Amino acid sequence: MREDCERTRESLSRWVDGDLSASDAEAIRLHLGSCAACDGERRQLEKLEFSLKSVLVSDVPRIDFEPFWAGVRERIKKKPSRREAIMEWSRSTFTPPALVWTVPAVIVVLLGVLSMNSFWRLGWQRNNFAAVESIDAHGRNVALLREDETKTTVIWLYQNQEGEDESSGENAETTPSF
Amino acid sequence: MESSDWELVQKCQAGKIDAFQELVSRYHQKIYTVIVGLLRNREDALEVAQETFFRAYRKIKSFQGGSSFYTWLYRIAVNIAIDSQRRQKRNPLDFRETMDGLFEEQNEVAKDPFSDVHDRELREKLVSAINDLTPEHKAVIILRTVEGLSYKDIGEILGCSEGTVMSRLHYARKKLQQKLSVFL
Repeated sequence: MREDCERTRESLSRWVDGDLSASDAEAIRLHLGSCAACDGERRQLEKLEFSLKSVLVSDVPRIDFEPFWAGVRERIKKKPSRREAIMEWSRSTFTPPALVWTVPAVIVVLLGVLSMNSFWRLGWQRNNFAAVESIDAHGRNVALLREDETKTTVIWLYQNQEGEDESSGENAETTPSF
Repeated sequence: MESSDWELVQKCQAGKIDAFQELVSRYHQKIYTVIVGLLRNREDALEVAQETFFRAYRKIKSFQGGSSFYTWLYRIAVNIAIDSQRRQKRNPLDFRETMDGLFEEQNEVAKDPFSDVHDRELREKLVSAINDLTPEHKAVIILRTVEGLSYKDIGEILGCSEGTVMSRLHYARKKLQQKLSVFL
């Protein structure tokens, strides 16, 4: 295939859509006038578009507005079930980009807890600090370890071994000694 | 004088359901047509179209007018339709059966624009070829061919760039052309 035929066929779809600049469209038009093969391709594409329109538009029945609106209105008036309300809340809260706030928020809370402990010596961990928090129902946990003497903080994400029962996860929340 | 979409949206945001009714009356047929094309089943399409407007109503307060109302609405519709299609994974034959039923109805009540055998065959092959496209390719074809939307609007609806829309359209048309080469 000649180079200009190749270029024409690559742009033919956009040409049919009228998406080319005036100069590019004119170049295609001129080429089509002098190349029977590319013009045949153009005819095929236009016939495809016509057939697609016939199938996709003319075969769709007209729908009456009144019953359609009644259906929409019924949904609007219906009070969502508890499950639907929870699903909707979780969808809007835990889908990106809404989820973006959670990572810095968790870090800020953890650092806040650490700062409180080091400034006011709250007493619940005089020297060292450790906490384990379950993240979800799949056994994922976050552990926070703080060694006071060396001022070392470790944030550790881990998942319970399969088969480990819930009580072992709860036991892990007890403060270990260093 | 007829209110613009944006004026009606603002009234909806102020709690006027009549304004929303007006928006539904403007777009219900267009939304339904797009969804029928995507889902290949008229009953499911009706459900999804109603769900689209229901979700739009619930989220209308978050619509700030950054894009046009119809692109926003189409985006909701296409997302629900693609989602539902993936969840259900219905037999593609459903559409052919539904559409075949419709062709027969049309034969009885009106003149069939595809009365010619060759055209009838082309139509059947075309429906089958559309069914074989991925939801994303089907969506660009429908939004461009049926609705005549610009590449930019399609990109906004599908959440992709104009370049992606262009290449998806090119690919989808090539695929359809290949499958229908005998008839075109």
